[in-house]
Amino acid sequence: MELLEPDILLQLLIGGLLAGMLYALLACGLNLVFGVMRVINLAHAELMLVGAFGAYVLFTIFGLHPLVSLLLIVPVLFIAGYYLQSVLIERVVERPMLTSLLATYGLSIILINVGLLLFSADFKSVPVLQGSFLIGELTVSKPRVTAGVISLLLTVGVYLFLERSHLGKAIRAVSEHAQVAAICGIDVRKIRMLTFGMAAAMAGAAGVMLSVIYSFWPGSGIDFIQKCFAIIIIGGMGNFLGALYGGILLGVVEAFVGGFASTQWAEAVAYLLLVTVLLIRPTGLKGVARA
Amino acid sequence: MPEKLSQKLLRVLRSFPAALSSSAGKPGAAIPGGPFGGTNVRRTFVKNLRLTLTRLTAARDVFETASEGNPRSIGLWVGAVLVTFVLLAPLGINDYHQSFLLQVFMVIALAQAWNLISGMTGYVSFGHAAFFGVGAYAGALFLTWGFPWWLAVIKGAGIAALLAVPLGFLTLRLRGPYFAIAMLGLNEVGRVVATLWVDVTRGGTGLTLSPKLLPSLDVKYFTMFALALGATLLVAWVHRSRFGLELRAIREDEEAAEMVGVNTTLNKVIAFVLSAVIPGAVGAVYVMYTSYINPASAFEHARNIEMIVVVLFGGSGTVWGPIIGAGTVMILRELLWAQFPAAHLAALGVLLLVVVLYLPGGLISILRDRQQKRPDARPGESP
Repeated sequence: MELLEPDILLQLLIGGLLAGMLYALLACGLNLVFGVMRVINLAHAELMLVGAFGAYVLFTIFGLHPLVSLLLIVPVLFIAGYYLQSVLIERVVERPMLTSLLATYGLSIILINVGLLLFSADFKSVPVLQGSFLIGELTVSKPRVTAGVISLLLTVGVYLFLERSHLGKAIRAVSEHAQVAAICGIDVRKIRMLTFGMAAAMAGAAGVMLSVIYSFWPGSGIDFIQKCFAIIIIGGMGNFLGALYGGILLGVVEAFVGGFASTQWAEAVAYLLLVTVLLIRPTGLKGVARA
Repeated sequence: MPEKLSQKLLRVLRSFPAALSSSAGKPGAAIPGGPFGGTNVRRTFVKNLRLTLTRLTAARDVFETASEGNPRSIGLWVGAVLVTFVLLAPLGINDYHQSFLLQVFMVIALAQAWNLISGMTGYVSFGHAAFFGVGAYAGALFLTWGFPWWLAVIKGAGIAALLAVPLGFLTLRLRGPYFAIAMLGLNEVGRVVATLWVDVTRGGTGLTLSPKLLPSLDVKYFTMFALALGATLLVAWVHRSRFGLELRAIREDEEAAEMVGVNTTLNKVIAFVLSAVIPGAVGAVYVMYTSYINPASAFEHARNIEMIVVVLFGGSGTVWGPIIGAGTVMILRELLWAQFPAAHLAALGVLLLVVVLYLPGGLISILRDRQQKRPDARPGESP
């Protein structure tokens, strides 16, 4: 098998790493929300698609390069997420988890179908950044490198923000224990709004990156949310860095399965991984055991 | 998250005993050294015991309120009128309206199936349409292999049940949200399998049934009606039976239910299998109605959405809720947004949000509140 040649393995590895970085950006946002308010946001992938379609619209109508529209879409989605939290999610945060699950499910249904009304069910893409880099024998496509690197930078940036800044510390405090954080004088409601805003912005950024490398339609979300669940269950629910590692791991595993078996099996990897982990450890591998 | 911060938090936490007790763990969680350990351990044990007792009381309350009287006689009358109407309807309506009613029955049957597992036990299944798809394919295949239509329906139901047994044992070990996450992909898996298993399902091309094999519209109409009626009666029976009480005890507090002697695993799996049999049979009848099936139409995501929204809108965990929900949603669909499927689903999403936020007990809770005027009854929890 020529598949086992080191060049091809390296090629698969790089492709997997780059795809994984995008997954990580998306999953970290989902995990951030879960960590801070114990809400599983089923509409997270649809927020990503809002970003992707935003990039598509800005590109087709105004000819804006996706890297430019990133600067527009991120703040817009931050604000949208911020108010979405105050209007909708805030009402279900304190209720049983299934309530918030159903509420965000409703939100995702609305977003998908409004998307279908606006953009139809055709696949869209933003064809910029064509071509690839040649490094020795390896070919690495330019859009994938751009998307992967920017995703990684954003994820690490958010991580540093959480670790280093005062506000980030407050977010972590709420995530560890909301009541105590409130006692310490943290405005928990504000922090939640901020967190959801950040997560939505991360999803939007992931969407813009997605638009550069994949084609997408309003129903694409289900594949991605499935991957996110696999990632955060592997990496630990509520664990930000865990989602980063889990995302990269999933990307690499998918790339190898895709290379050796078929791409359709690669699509199934995430679900199989998710179910396997859940069956071995019904509460996930790491992270907040019961909360 | 680093240790420093959590230790700081813990210190603050320790200075607030009230906060500590409210965040104490579940009963029986980690009692090192057994109940005869040090004073601290003993205190934890007593606290756990007290917690357990409160939970037991809560579970008993569920048992008691559930057996209180409900407006059953009204329900019986309304039911009798509806059944008479449905039985006589084919004499006086055209094929279009008969087809419409058939679809209403389909939605009712599916909704009751979902109600059985998710409404009763609180385990929200986001992937139940998968059983519909399996039943549809099984029905289509057995029909093409020369079986009579009714045997194809039974086999469709049986295969859905066969799949549900191992699946139930595997996934129902997962609590609440984890179960929901695991089920979310089931429908997609079904579609991928149906697409890839070309030898049997003919992949994306789909299966077309020759008209010679199909029963008449009247037969399909009454079969679908029988399924809707059967599903409703099943839910009504479960509702009144000890089995149903046990399911609702699981919904309220699974640990407490286990403690009063409910075999939670077995109960959940039985409910799950029953709730898979119905979509299996419905799928088989549906394929005879459309005479064509492909992966996308068998494992349609919209069907999941419809099941969930119809039940929650009508009132989950009740007998009449899914019927009221199905009737309302189907009539709205027919009158308002039949031409725009995407708008229909978006409207269902809005409906779901409204119900979750403002009407947790569904439409039926409005009727009931007016009738019984029991301000203490939490909507959707008593029958």
